[in-house]
Amino acid sequence: MLKIENKADIFHYRTLLFVLVFSILTLLSRYFYLQVIEYERYSSKSQVNSVRAQATYAPRGLILDRNGVVLVENYPTYILTVTPYELDNKEKQFQIISDITDISIDELSRRYKKYNQGRFLPTVIAKNLSFAEISQIEERRLELSGFQYKRFDERLYNDVLKDAHFLGYLRELDRESIPFLDKSQLYRAGELIGWQGLEKQYETELRYSKGIEYIEVDTYGREINTINDNNIPAYPGKNLTLSIDSKLQQFSKNLLIDQKGVILVSNVDTGDILSMVSNPSYNLDIYRGETTDSDWSNLLSDEDKPIINRNIAGLYPPGSSFKIITAFNLIEDGLLDPEDSLMCTGSYIPPGSSNTFNCWKGDGHGLVDLNKAIAQSCNVYFYETVQLIKLADWTKTAKIFGFQNKTDIDLPNELIGQIPDKEFFINTYGRWGWSERGVLLNLTLGQGDILVTPLQSLRYINHIASKGKTAKLKLNANKKVEYYDDIILSEQTWDRVIKGLYDVVNSEGGSGWRAKQPEVKLYGKTSTAENPHGEPHAWFNGFFDFEGQTYSLVVLVENGGGGGAVASPIAGEIVKFFTSEQVEMVNK
Amino acid sequence: MSFFNNYIYGSNEYLGRLYLIVSSLITFGLITLYSISTDPLSISSSFMRQLIFIIFSLFVFFVLNQINVKTIHDNSTLIYIFSFLLCFVPFFLSPVENTYRWIDLGFFYIQPGEYLKCATIILIAKYLSNHQLEVKEGYIVFIPILIALLSSFLVLNQPDLGTAVIIFAPVLPMMLWAGVNGFTLFLLIAPVITIIAASNNMIFNIWGVIMFIIFMTFQGGLLKRVLIYFANIFTGLLFPFFWNDFLNGYQRQRFIDFLNPDLDPMGSSYHIIQSITAIGSGGMFGKGWGQGSQTQLKFLPVQESDFILSVIAEEFGFFGIAVIMFLFFMLIKTLLDIAFKSSDYFSSLVIVGLTSILFSHIFVNSAMTIGLMPVKGLPTPFVSAGGSFMLLCFIILSLVTNFSKN
Repeated sequence: MLKIENKADIFHYRTLLFVLVFSILTLLSRYFYLQVIEYERYSSKSQVNSVRAQATYAPRGLILDRNGVVLVENYPTYILTVTPYELDNKEKQFQIISDITDISIDELSRRYKKYNQGRFLPTVIAKNLSFAEISQIEERRLELSGFQYKRFDERLYNDVLKDAHFLGYLRELDRESIPFLDKSQLYRAGELIGWQGLEKQYETELRYSKGIEYIEVDTYGREINTINDNNIPAYPGKNLTLSIDSKLQQFSKNLLIDQKGVILVSNVDTGDILSMVSNPSYNLDIYRGETTDSDWSNLLSDEDKPIINRNIAGLYPPGSSFKIITAFNLIEDGLLDPEDSLMCTGSYIPPGSSNTFNCWKGDGHGLVDLNKAIAQSCNVYFYETVQLIKLADWTKTAKIFGFQNKTDIDLPNELIGQIPDKEFFINTYGRWGWSERGVLLNLTLGQGDILVTPLQSLRYINHIASKGKTAKLKLNANKKVEYYDDIILSEQTWDRVIKGLYDVVNSEGGSGWRAKQPEVKLYGKTSTAENPHGEPHAWFNGFFDFEGQTYSLVVLVENGGGGGAVASPIAGEIVKFFTSEQVEMVNK
Repeated sequence: MSFFNNYIYGSNEYLGRLYLIVSSLITFGLITLYSISTDPLSISSSFMRQLIFIIFSLFVFFVLNQINVKTIHDNSTLIYIFSFLLCFVPFFLSPVENTYRWIDLGFFYIQPGEYLKCATIILIAKYLSNHQLEVKEGYIVFIPILIALLSSFLVLNQPDLGTAVIIFAPVLPMMLWAGVNGFTLFLLIAPVITIIAASNNMIFNIWGVIMFIIFMTFQGGLLKRVLIYFANIFTGLLFPFFWNDFLNGYQRQRFIDFLNPDLDPMGSSYHIIQSITAIGSGGMFGKGWGQGSQTQLKFLPVQESDFILSVIAEEFGFFGIAVIMFLFFMLIKTLLDIAFKSSDYFSSLVIVGLTSILFSHIFVNSAMTIGLMPVKGLPTPFVSAGGSFMLLCFIILSLVTNFSKN
């Protein structure tokens, strides 16, 4: 009980009650006026005709490549809808539609039930109708009360890039997803929405803005008149210009023709991705029109996983390119003199262990300093020197270069891979099931529990090419250039590593000599990544200067074999593409 | 009913009546929602969602019932600060429908501005009850108005004009209840009426005369009264000038857009026309449950929340509206009865404040459906679909139950 007593005054109570009665009576009298006195007027107004607002549409934005080549455009088709309460003889009318469109009556009935939105609202029962079919329906208009057709734009992909995962696709929107979408865009069930790839990423920009058209309809919802006042026009979506060069994309795709793998090419200075190939792929046209369930399940169960964009969602051990991570630690922290050499006899036995770790070159590299170790990818050199580094420092360096982190590319569903740290090893192998020295022998070769995406690998090589100040990777040519966090290392460290990468391609005995091109200085690192799925993955990560710009590339051939033998020649071909006559297309 | 009362709440007859009215309103709302849902039994239909919200709100109601009035009284400042801070949370989240009003809890959205209303009332009630002896002095009004202004300013930035205005609704009735003198209250509302009246010369002149008479009848220094009178007149005269000449068309539009961001792209006049047609065509006894052609053909937008009364009017006619208005009247009257009989001053003031909130929602929403007020997204208590507001209504109900226990 609170201390202060209620002293409410009966006068105040009555004042409030008076306000209440007065307001309620005001409202009631207005209702009475509308519903009883003016009843005739509104009743006839509602019976004879009503104004219905109807959405109008405009085309979705196109997707173009950097040179203005149209990659995705719109393709008009027709859809057939039926409004349940306007049907007068459902069986007979379905028979007619079935005759015209070759869709079975069962299928029509199934869709009729599945997509039903209520007695008064049109339900879509057929899509992708041809103009000929529409003409036949129009001829039998009188028998087909309740049926309506309207234009419905679908996406049409350029033949050259119709298998490019990054473009993504549209999907028909179902009722369940609508509450999760931006309400201001006025999504309705049955409309198309960007569901994957760039179509999803840039949905807001690409999507048209809906218009409103007012139509006078009678009591059955039939159109009587269109009213032109207050209509809001629909506006087309904005076009999206990509940094992709479709010629280069096509050229690089042909380099991988029968192999699984990835080719990425980017401009280091701007972060623009010029080519992003993921093989095998599939035809994006399957999202259009009718694809049978068996085609779908074949695609989904295909062991080669054509549905995945390997660039952002494929996880691979990186192999020897991670020797550079070790090299960064060694030089930056002054753990050894890079000029010092040690002896590679072809194998290495860690102190206190009886296991032998072999170099890939059976008879050894002889005397090896850091530069030669990078150029010839000597395992023994890194086995020995990685022993000077703490696991925590090593993984920290890997993460600074963007591994186990998103590259922030403008694509949805990017994976981040895995850089195993102490905690990971304890969780996986138990506290005593592993040793720091032991796992580092694996990690320094980019093997073991490390997983990276090819795009992360591209970011890594871009960090090196730009000495730490690196533009964020992107596909939208008009997106502002942003930068990743600067990586601050001494000039000497960068120079040593870059010199090593130069010698990989250009020195005698360098593992990437097959990529060498006469007119262009190419830097790179080959990797041959062992994996449980068969032959090793062949990698080549590299960069080169061309006409004042720096370009980078990543080639990955899944289960292709040696990075030097398989991936390097492909990298060489790509550099050749730049120097050949098609160059002005790229450099625009 | 009496068993129910006696068993749980001793012998408070008003609470029994209150629960009966609230259950009737909820039932009425559910029947109407069932009628306009395309597929009422699916989990995403407004009917089922409403049912789930009600069950959830009931649960909250019983939990809050355990809290003692004294706890609320003693912690009213804390409650206010907490609600106030809660209103900042949406600014750190991504905007919902381009505003920062909502916090997404996954299964439904809550609108912290709603709870700030209650907290504001509790704080004002505490202030007024603690300063009961000074209530005859004019300056007593400043602190409550400052509190309301603070809350209102915050939600105005979300932006949410509807809630910002509603926060002021309880201030006058609570002051009246507390015994603040009539002239002071008149001084508070006079400028608002002056600004509204300024839109029409004739009305403005009449208002000027009325104001003059009132000023002359009341006590106080002549100079003070004359000054206040002319301050009022000048506000009225300057406002249209400020609006028309000082701001250009673009700025005016910006201002309107800022105040009214949920302005539908279809245009608000379209809503009003459709609503009035639906109501008018309902006639005396309506078209029957599920038979409203305007509502069933979806001519009427947001019919399950903002325009639910139009649906009732179309399907159940003037008769249905009379029933629901009677229920609203009884709801408010019962709440006032409870406030009047309440044994302590603080409880009594809180109940009056909460009642004013409910009443202003009822009034603004009804007036909107019949075109007496501009379109503003304020739902009707216990009837409109919507989780956050339904929860608020039940919180109010539980506060009233609590405060009437004394």
